[in-house]
Amino acid sequence: MRETLVVFRRELRSYFLSPIAYVFGILMVSVLLYYVTEATLQNGARATAEPLFGTLPFMLVLFLPGLTMRLWAEERKLGTLELLMTFPVRVGQLVLGKFLACVAYLAIVLLLTVGLPLTLGAYGKLDWTPVLGSYLASLLFAGSFVAVGMFWSSTTRDQMVAMLLSLVSLFVLYQLGNPQNIEYASGWMPAWLVDVVNGLSPHKYFVSIARGVLDTRDLVYFACFCGFFLYANALALEARRTKG
Amino acid sequence: MIEVEQLAKSYGFAQALKGVTFTVQKGEVIGFLGPNGAGKSTTMKILTGYLLPTSGRASVAGHDVVADSVAARRCIGYLPETTPLYGEMRVDEYLRFCAEIRGIPADRQRVAIGRAVERCALQRVLGKNIVELSKGYKQRVGLAQAIVHEPPVLVLDEPTSGLDPNQIVEVRSLIEQLGKEHTVILSTHYLQEVEKSCTRVIIIDQGRIVADGTQAQITAAHGGASLRLRVRGPAEAVRAQLQQLLPPDAAIVAEPPVDGVSTWRLGLPPTGADVAGAAAALVVKNGWSLLELTTEQASLEDTFRQLTGRQPTGAKAQEAAHA
Repeated sequence: MRETLVVFRRELRSYFLSPIAYVFGILMVSVLLYYVTEATLQNGARATAEPLFGTLPFMLVLFLPGLTMRLWAEERKLGTLELLMTFPVRVGQLVLGKFLACVAYLAIVLLLTVGLPLTLGAYGKLDWTPVLGSYLASLLFAGSFVAVGMFWSSTTRDQMVAMLLSLVSLFVLYQLGNPQNIEYASGWMPAWLVDVVNGLSPHKYFVSIARGVLDTRDLVYFACFCGFFLYANALALEARRTKG
Repeated sequence: MIEVEQLAKSYGFAQALKGVTFTVQKGEVIGFLGPNGAGKSTTMKILTGYLLPTSGRASVAGHDVVADSVAARRCIGYLPETTPLYGEMRVDEYLRFCAEIRGIPADRQRVAIGRAVERCALQRVLGKNIVELSKGYKQRVGLAQAIVHEPPVLVLDEPTSGLDPNQIVEVRSLIEQLGKEHTVILSTHYLQEVEKSCTRVIIIDQGRIVADGTQAQITAAHGGASLRLRVRGPAEAVRAQLQQLLPPDAAIVAEPPVDGVSTWRLGLPPTGADVAGAAAALVVKNGWSLLELTTEQASLEDTFRQLTGRQPTGAKAQEAAHA
């Protein structure tokens, strides 16, 4: 626990010691707000933050691989992975600390968008339940994508490879949960298969929580999804000890 | 303190270690010598828990490095060859991170870090970002990281490689001091380093230990001695006579005669026969004059070259020409 916390603190601080935190954060927030503003103006300003959270998943598909690609690949390239893995710490603690730091950083970025619902709330009657639900859903969703990206980063020392693999996986996961695709697939695929495929995607559960309805099953799903990839991540790192 | 038994490691088809066995007592400073790719780093990586051995076992301070890895790692300070540092951090932040993750209690961190900083003379650069430091300073930060928790065992992989001569002297004297309180294993290409700071030498080549002992033991057992003599007399006759003193396959190295004086170097057989006395008598008997007669003990460098069949870095070229 203490070790995880030490790794978490160092990681989170390191985001703000390099330009990446600022570049990624500003880029993400600007693009989000741009789309949201556009959508809101076109729709005639309804007091809802839906466009914000509707755009978010795809923005994460695009931007997150750029953030997660370096998480392990860079450590390996710099040799600091050797330092971390010879500390008297279990690999799981390293993985968890790194993961939580990345999620915490994304939480900070998400908070930067809070001006939008606040503005909407000030000028109209905003229903805050779905907004709060959406923030929670976004964070869980982002976390699940971080777990995937971080896993790929642990399999290679080449950041580009990690980025491309993450981009493809995230895109597929995103599409599996895309309501339009589900509708299309229902036309020719057996219903149970649609359910299974759809059920794999974090996107589905994001949509569900974002409505403002908190279902334990959705939370369990995110815990399992992240747990699976973090475990795979730890195994990939442990495998390095055998392969060298 | 360290026990290694039949340790082997393969990377795919390549066998990096082929059954290495040695023990290190408390307080020893071991110099690990060997050409590139001999298996020095692999051995160190296994000892520090970074890699798992393919077979064999190793333990540090009584803890098996595989079964009880975390406990073993707790007893080790490790400076890998790559000097792993987080460039964006300040020196003091980095050392605090290492102290925290090693579990030094908060109230003792200050003292522990202060001690490491003092020993590695880092006071002037504490507030600087690591990325701005010179290579010598970076190496010292790496060393400070390795000693911050006062480990009983220090494993240093080529601690002086890539440094300039002044920095080498600094780091070397630091290691010498550390050797007084810690059990140290260091690998190096520089034979002078071993001669200066190590109590024992292990020479490793192609995944096997080829020599293990103090320098004197190793040079005596593997290097042998040679006899150098300068004689005024007909070169061909001298060679024929000298050859009779030695076993038929023994080598005689000659330098071209100058003004009728020829110089010879005879490898002495390990039997301890009095070749020097016999050679002197022989020269006198033939009525030549003996200008010089010296017995030379092989240096660690000669021995290294003989054992590994290759040239250590930093060996003097003209000496190689004689070998």
